[in-house]
Amino acid sequence: MKDLLLRLEPVIWVLFGAGILVGTMLITGWILIVGLAVPTGLVSADALAFGRAYGLASHFVGRLVLLGLIALPMWKGAHHMRHLSIDHGGAERDAVVAPILYGIATIGSIAAIVAVARL
Amino acid sequence: MSDAKTMKLVITRFDPDVDAVPRTQEYEIPVQPDWKVLDAVNFIKDEVDGTLSHRWSCRMAVCGSCGMMVNGEPKLTCKVALSDYGDELLIEPLANFPVVRDLVVEMEGFMDKFKSVKPWIITAKEMAAEEGTNRQSPAELEVFKQFSMCINCMLCYSACPVVANEPEFLGPAAIALGHRYNMDSRDEGQAERNEIFRGEGTVFSCSYANECSEVCPKNVDPAAAVNQAKLNAVIDWATGLVIPRKGP
Repeated sequence: MKDLLLRLEPVIWVLFGAGILVGTMLITGWILIVGLAVPTGLVSADALAFGRAYGLASHFVGRLVLLGLIALPMWKGAHHMRHLSIDHGGAERDAVVAPILYGIATIGSIAAIVAVARL
Repeated sequence: MSDAKTMKLVITRFDPDVDAVPRTQEYEIPVQPDWKVLDAVNFIKDEVDGTLSHRWSCRMAVCGSCGMMVNGEPKLTCKVALSDYGDELLIEPLANFPVVRDLVVEMEGFMDKFKSVKPWIITAKEMAAEEGTNRQSPAELEVFKQFSMCINCMLCYSACPVVANEPEFLGPAAIALGHRYNMDSRDEGQAERNEIFRGEGTVFSCSYANECSEVCPKNVDPAAAVNQAKLNAVIDWATGLVIPRKGP
């Protein structure tokens, strides 16, 4: 398991890095729009009307963005929690903790792919 | 001498022949306003207690010998002013290293890590003397110059939370040094070093706390080197998918 984790480190790190980017930039933007701009009237609520939102999300590019928004932060979270576990003396249990966390991120990512594909 | 005031220095003492565990000793000494922390430790050694052991040499932040924990933070003691602190100062040996005696730490493991990243220019074929010198443009030098300013003071290892947890972790300075040679236009040893960087306890063990860069007295920014090395490892991995490499 240790060897497999070691071999997968580069791809995990890329997903983690992408998760940070998405988590800190796109989701922040999303919260600004949905949480502030729409309620305060800066952006018309009609902009997020179901038909428009659905049209945007079901477009090929929209589906890809949605997939990134859902799946990548899960890898960010899994990787952060893995290192948190190691930093709290969990180097020994890493061979168990890491597969569980990345397993959850993998299942979540597959679920996200299925969800955006079925939109 | 009219500006002299007194200051209390609490210093870790440890004699492996006598002490089971390190203890502390207090020294009340007169200090000058222009002293560095090292000057105070040297004063104790020279005028108060000759049994105190510590390392120092150049007194100008070049040799990297006088790293100690000052009030819990790793500092190059010849570079920090005594006047930056209050009336009492706690001085301990660098954290995350075995203590040899008093403020002197064991450097062997650190030096082994350094050697393991092959910190020299590797070329497939040595140039004949008639071919002249290896030329390098200022732009090519700029790519790695910052990482070559390391003075091996070990402050970054003392500050690194990953080293504290996993003593085998290759660590900031060694990774920065390996990366420095990987980025050198004259070097051809990237494949060998990247194989080391793919191993356990190397670049991907770094959790990017950035403490190494915070404490570096030479502004080397080892955290940037580690993350650039991670990116190179990713490119190396992706390239390996298309062009299978030899070995593991």
